[in-house]
Amino acid sequence: MILEHEIPQGSKLYFGKSAKLKRHIEKVASDVLYDNGFEEIVTPIFSYHQHHSIADEKELIRINDEKNHNISLRADSTVDVVRLIQKRLGRNTAQKKWFYIQPVVTYPTNEQYQVGVESVGSDDLAEVLGLCMEILQKLELHPLLQLSNIKIPRILVEMFDELTLDDFRHINIDKILSLDEEWLTKLVYLQHVEQLDEVLALAPKEIQVELAKLKALASKLKYDHVVLAPMYYAKMLYYHELFFRVIDANEVLARGGEYEVDAQTSVGFAIYSDELVEKIGKNNG
Amino acid sequence: MLTVALPKGRIAKETLEIFEQIFGSQFAFDDRKLILETENFRFLLVRNQDVATYVHRQAADIGVVGLDTLEEQGLDVVRLLDLRKGVCKVAIGMKKGEKLDLTKPELKVATKMVNITKRYFEQRAVSVDIIKLYGSIELAPLVGLADMIVDIVETGTTMKQNGLEVVEDIMESSTYLIANKNSYIAKKDEILSIYEKIRDVVKNG
Repeated sequence: MILEHEIPQGSKLYFGKSAKLKRHIEKVASDVLYDNGFEEIVTPIFSYHQHHSIADEKELIRINDEKNHNISLRADSTVDVVRLIQKRLGRNTAQKKWFYIQPVVTYPTNEQYQVGVESVGSDDLAEVLGLCMEILQKLELHPLLQLSNIKIPRILVEMFDELTLDDFRHINIDKILSLDEEWLTKLVYLQHVEQLDEVLALAPKEIQVELAKLKALASKLKYDHVVLAPMYYAKMLYYHELFFRVIDANEVLARGGEYEVDAQTSVGFAIYSDELVEKIGKNNG
Repeated sequence: MLTVALPKGRIAKETLEIFEQIFGSQFAFDDRKLILETENFRFLLVRNQDVATYVHRQAADIGVVGLDTLEEQGLDVVRLLDLRKGVCKVAIGMKKGEKLDLTKPELKVATKMVNITKRYFEQRAVSVDIIKLYGSIELAPLVGLADMIVDIVETGTTMKQNGLEVVEDIMESSTYLIANKNSYIAKKDEILSIYEKIRDVVKNG
């Protein structure tokens, strides 16, 4: 029996203080983004293309359109936004910098509010990452920024027959260290930007190239609470090189990176409003 | 400061002995206390099945738990090190003299470890009726509740005493040092430092 006060598990309800806080977060974010040349876009909640951006299709909430084509409720905004800008609005606007404030939903009843940012056709991750951290700092937060490069675990799997992507997904350091390669051991231990040069000097060329990208990104940042996680691997369908996560204790407050949609490189990030409402709400007592 | 979740009982005792060996001082919970604070560590005494949950939700940064429990729960945590303690097997047991015949329809399997059992039979494309029990698993085949059991086997004595025998091993298990994924990113120096020290003790032990 469903009681009158129940809401589906994973769905969100904000009222009074928490709704005001959510609106405040969205206002701070949109002010920063407008000031930096971004414009807002609102995209349909119904989508034909979600399977391009969600690694596990079982997460999609699927229905059918009037011609019985499969459609899904929006579980991720990035691919839809980029495709709409390129394919549908290409002749109407030359604008490439967009943000959206809209929730995503996944099966069975999970809702997630977020502020998303896409700089279509840009490969300047430092620029959007800087904006992400500016928004969080304006919200009086000083979380940990993790910089990673998903190409590094992929190259390592190619280099060592013993390793699989699952070893990186589960951070199986015992196995990685057992390979007994000095540069690889240093890569496992790499955490701070100051340690990078030591690993760069020893690593093979392919890894050097990818570490140098991490170094270049770190050097452009005006933020001091940063760690490197060069071996971090997560199941993501579109980040193909540099990416970042902003973490606070066990929560991810924001995530972003460089990705490719329809052979075009773009950069973007999402700030997770639900986690921020909880975090800032707690900070404010 | 690292928070360490330990399962009550023998494994907690053995793990604290490793810490004593490393740091040369005493690590012992006061009577009935569930928290032990030391200079660099905070130990929590929790139920074995709850260790991974404490670590997954970052109530603890690291913890010690059996691989069988990890596999059963499927929580996303870092598996840092095999401590080679509490070695046991997850195995299929049947009444003595009976043979495992996976072609038989409607097999009934009694177990505490529903997920490991489900995966094992799914991988062999065998459809089984899994009966979740919370204890005295060995009883199930004896009273006709199930055709077989999937259970932890250390020496095999309990099965033998109840007229059962192991017909197939599913997996080997031992205790693992695990870590929370975000703690591993944020406190890598501390976590890898204790990982190294424990690894050296385990290797030399």
